[in-house]
Amino acid sequence: MFKRHRSLASNRKRELFFQGVSRSIMKNDMRNFHSLSQLVLSAGPLKATPAVKHSKTTHYEIEILDAQTRKQICMVDKVTQTATIHDVKEKFHKACPKWYPSRVGLQLECGGPFLRDYITIQSVATSSIVTLYFTDLGQQVSWTTVFLAEYTGPLLIYLLFYLRISYVYDMKESTRRVRHPVVHLACFFHCIHYIRYLLETLFVHKVSAGRTPLKNLIQGCAFYWGFTSWIAYYINHPWYTPPSFGNRQVTVSAINFLICEAGNHFINVMLAHPNHTGNNACFPRPNYNPFTWMFLLVSCPNYTYEIGSWISFTVMTQTLPVGIFTLLMSIQMSLWAQKKHKVYVKKFNSYMHRKSAIIPFIL
Amino acid sequence: MAAAVTAAPKGNGGSRGQVGAGEADCTGTKGPGPLATAYLVIYNVVMTAGWLVIAVGLVRAYLAEGSYHSLYYSIEKPLKFFQTGALLEILHCAVGIVPSSVVLTSFQVMSRVFLIWAVTHSVKEVQSEDSVLLFVIAWTITEIICYFFYTFSLLNHLPYLIKWARYTLFIVLYPMGVSGELLTIYSALPFVRQAGLYSISLPNKYNFSFDYHAFLILVMISCIPVFPQLYFHMIHQRRKILSHTEEHKKFE
Repeated sequence: MFKRHRSLASNRKRELFFQGVSRSIMKNDMRNFHSLSQLVLSAGPLKATPAVKHSKTTHYEIEILDAQTRKQICMVDKVTQTATIHDVKEKFHKACPKWYPSRVGLQLECGGPFLRDYITIQSVATSSIVTLYFTDLGQQVSWTTVFLAEYTGPLLIYLLFYLRISYVYDMKESTRRVRHPVVHLACFFHCIHYIRYLLETLFVHKVSAGRTPLKNLIQGCAFYWGFTSWIAYYINHPWYTPPSFGNRQVTVSAINFLICEAGNHFINVMLAHPNHTGNNACFPRPNYNPFTWMFLLVSCPNYTYEIGSWISFTVMTQTLPVGIFTLLMSIQMSLWAQKKHKVYVKKFNSYMHRKSAIIPFIL
Repeated sequence: MAAAVTAAPKGNGGSRGQVGAGEADCTGTKGPGPLATAYLVIYNVVMTAGWLVIAVGLVRAYLAEGSYHSLYYSIEKPLKFFQTGALLEILHCAVGIVPSSVVLTSFQVMSRVFLIWAVTHSVKEVQSEDSVLLFVIAWTITEIICYFFYTFSLLNHLPYLIKWARYTLFIVLYPMGVSGELLTIYSALPFVRQAGLYSISLPNKYNFSFDYHAFLILVMISCIPVFPQLYFHMIHQRRKILSHTEEHKKFE
C-alpha cells in the first residue's frame, strides 16, 4: 500500500516538474538559468523512483484524543511495530508530564475496555495512524500502600479501644469491673491476625507492580477502620457480656481460629511461590502439609480459611457487630473466589474436577 | 430527601425509570420485550391511578374539613399501599426490564418506604404535623407526573407537556418534599427518645446496641451534602433534555 502511494506521488511530481520547466523557458529567457536551477533544486528525484521494499521500520503515529471532549491532546509518532501500549504511555508521559503511565487509561473506542499494557500496537492498529481515547484514571497508589494502610489502621484502633481511653468509655465503670479473659484473648488474636497480614504483605505476597486509584485506598481504609472501631467498642466495653456457653465456647473457637490462621498463612506462602503466580502459573498441588489439603476440595482455600478465622472470632466473642463484619467479608470474598474459580476452570480443567470455589461441596 | 432522591435520578433518563422515546440512550440498548412492556404499562397505569386516588382524597378531605391540618389520616391507607408498591420497581431493575441501576433505585425507594413506615407510621404523634402534608403533596404531584411520563414513554407517545412538567415542576416540588421530610423526622425525634423506639441497649447477650434517635439524626445530616448535588444535577439534566427537544422541534 505504501509502495503504490509513494510511486504515484513521485510520478505526479515529475509531471509537474516537466510542465513547469517548459512553461518557464517559453515565458522568460532572461532568467532561464536561475529559474531552471531553482526548479531543479525544488523538484523531486529525476531518476525513476527505486522500488520501495516493504519497510521493516514502518512507524505508527498514535493520535491521542480526550475521551470526553474528543479533542486531540497530542500525537505520539515514530512508534515502532513492536511497541506496546506501555511504551505509548511512557512517550505520552514525556510529552505531557503530568499524566504518568499508571494514571493513563487508553481505549480504542469511546466506552470500550481499557487496553492492557502488554498489548502491542500492531495487534490493534488498522492503519498507520491509530486513534486512542485517553481517560484520566485519577491519582494512583500502589497496592502495597493500600494493604499496609488497611491493616495498620485496625491494629492500632483496636489497641486504642483495648486500652480504654477515657473519651470512649465511662472511667468509673471501666475501673470497677474486672475484664473477662476472653476480652484479652480477643485483643491478642486480633493483633496476631493483623500483624500476620502486615508481615505477609511485606515479605510473602508478590503483589503485582500495578497501582490502583486513590479512591480504592479511601474506601478500603474506611471499611476496615470503621468496622474495627465498631467491633472494638463492643468487645472492650465495660458492660461486655461473655459468651453464653462459657469457657468451652471460648476454647473451641480459639483453637479453630488458630488453625484457620495457620492454614491461611501456609496457603499464602504456597501461592506466592513462583510456580503459582503470573501467567504461566500451574494449579497448586497439596503437599505433605495438612493445611494445603484444602486444595483438594476448593480452589481458593485462602479465602476459606479467612472466613473460618472470622467465624471463630465471632463465636469466641459472641458479638453481633463482628458477625456483621464477617458476613460482609464473606460475601466479598465469595465474589472474588467465584471469579478466580472461573478462571481456574478455564485454565486447568483437569485439576478442577469436583472442586468448589470457597466452601467445600457447597459454593 | 426521599422526594429529592426520587425526583432527581428520575429526571436522568438513565437512572431510575424507563428510557423514554425522547431521551437518547448512547449505548443503544433495546427496550423490553412486548410482554414486559405490557406489564410495565399496566404497572405504571395502576400507580398513576393510585396516586390520583391519593390526590383526590386529599382534595375531598380538605373541602370536607375546611382546614388543611390532619389530612394525613384520610389518605393513610392508599399512601402506604402505593408507596410500598413502588418496591416492585427494584424488582424490575433487578430482572432487567427497566434499564436502571438496582442500587440507585433501591436507595430511592427504600428511603421513601423508610419515611412512610419507620417514621410516620411508627411515631403516631407526628401524623398530625403539617410537615407530613408538605411531603405528601410533593410526592403526590411528582409521582403522578412521573408515572404518566413512564406510561406515555413506553407507548412512544410522549406529549411535550408531560415532559416539560416532569423536568420543571421539580424546581418547586423537590425542596418542598425535602423540607417536609426533614421537618417530619425532626419532630419525631423527641418521641423516639422518650419511648426508646427501635433501640437496643447494652448489656445484652449479643453485645450489640442501636440508638434509633442517633440514627435518625445521622439520616438528617446525610441529606445535607446530597440535596444540592441532586438538585443541580436535575437542573443540568433539564437544560440538556429540554433544549435537545427544542432543537428537534426546529429541525422538524
